[in-house]
Amino acid sequence: MSNNCFTPTLQALFTALLLSLVILACSKPETIKDLSDASYKLLNTDSSTVDFPQDYKGNISVVSFIYTHCPDVCPVITANMKNIQSGLEDTSDIQFIEISFDPQRDTPQVLKEYKKLFQLNSQFSLLTGEPGPVDSLLSQLNIVAKKIQPDSLQQDSSQYDMIHSNKIYLMDKTGKIRAEYPASNVPPKNVIEDIQKLR
Amino acid sequence: MTLLKHFLLLLIVGSIAIGCSSKSSSQKENKNVVLGKLELSNGWARPASQGQNSAVYLTIANGTASDDTLLNIQSDAAQKAELHESYKDENSTVGMRPVDRQPIPESEKLLLKPGRLHIMLMNLKRDIAVGDSVSVSLEFAQVGTRTLQVPVKIQE
Repeated sequence: MSNNCFTPTLQALFTALLLSLVILACSKPETIKDLSDASYKLLNTDSSTVDFPQDYKGNISVVSFIYTHCPDVCPVITANMKNIQSGLEDTSDIQFIEISFDPQRDTPQVLKEYKKLFQLNSQFSLLTGEPGPVDSLLSQLNIVAKKIQPDSLQQDSSQYDMIHSNKIYLMDKTGKIRAEYPASNVPPKNVIEDIQKLR
Repeated sequence: MTLLKHFLLLLIVGSIAIGCSSKSSSQKENKNVVLGKLELSNGWARPASQGQNSAVYLTIANGTASDDTLLNIQSDAAQKAELHESYKDENSTVGMRPVDRQPIPESEKLLLKPGRLHIMLMNLKRDIAVGDSVSVSLEFAQVGTRTLQVPVKIQE
């Protein structure tokens, strides 16, 4: 008797749950930050000026933040960006952007060398710039980057490490940030699934 | 003739004394006899430019019958090499910090891997690119210094 009473209710609940899951799976990520009208003058590896994000509109961008003196976590982030790239069957409308939060040491030439050493292809843009615009962009995107002086290196002020945010952003074709991931350990398939939804 | 005999006798006694003392000095240098083997494997280094930093990853398997401790690290490629660990704080920001003497209990492994413990090669003396190799020497309290060559490669 009680089974008969609950069955329709349970069925309705399951149906609602299934529908919610389907809707959730198909829905596009919400806008986290709207940069569609923003303009930050940065420098590419050939020292040419780029307007971020205006110059990248029209494509979906996977955006991460690194510094090249970082021997461990930042190369892991770069490796993850490459894994997202290699996991995509079609990368024709995708760009991969790594922005340095250490413009003091990461000149265009230094980023050019990093790009070569890590065998990043032309779909990768490695950007730096004057501290002003870089800091302004980082602040807008809630990216934290702070210099620290390890005890063992205290003698030399140019040899600092940095503590920093660990984020990959997914930016749509209009310059809106639509998703955020833990950069060093997000499974590439999670980002790829969201890219498919934004296409 | 007697003088010559005495001289030869002194020479023999002297030689034996020197031989004994040098043996004891050598034993001190080799420290204790350690049973079993400490093995280093799966080593590799990240590419980086001269003046930059790199990281070396490897597995240290203490197959000896005694606890050991990693005391110091040196590399021909860097001005300084230290054991570091990457960490994440409560705000999800990430950073690195040096790790002091790292104990490795008997029959256990110490894994140095991306995003965790690693050897930080600081202020590289030269560019190290994919296809190169780097020499790393690790000094342990019990088994002494072990040196290995690790290939430079890109993480997949």
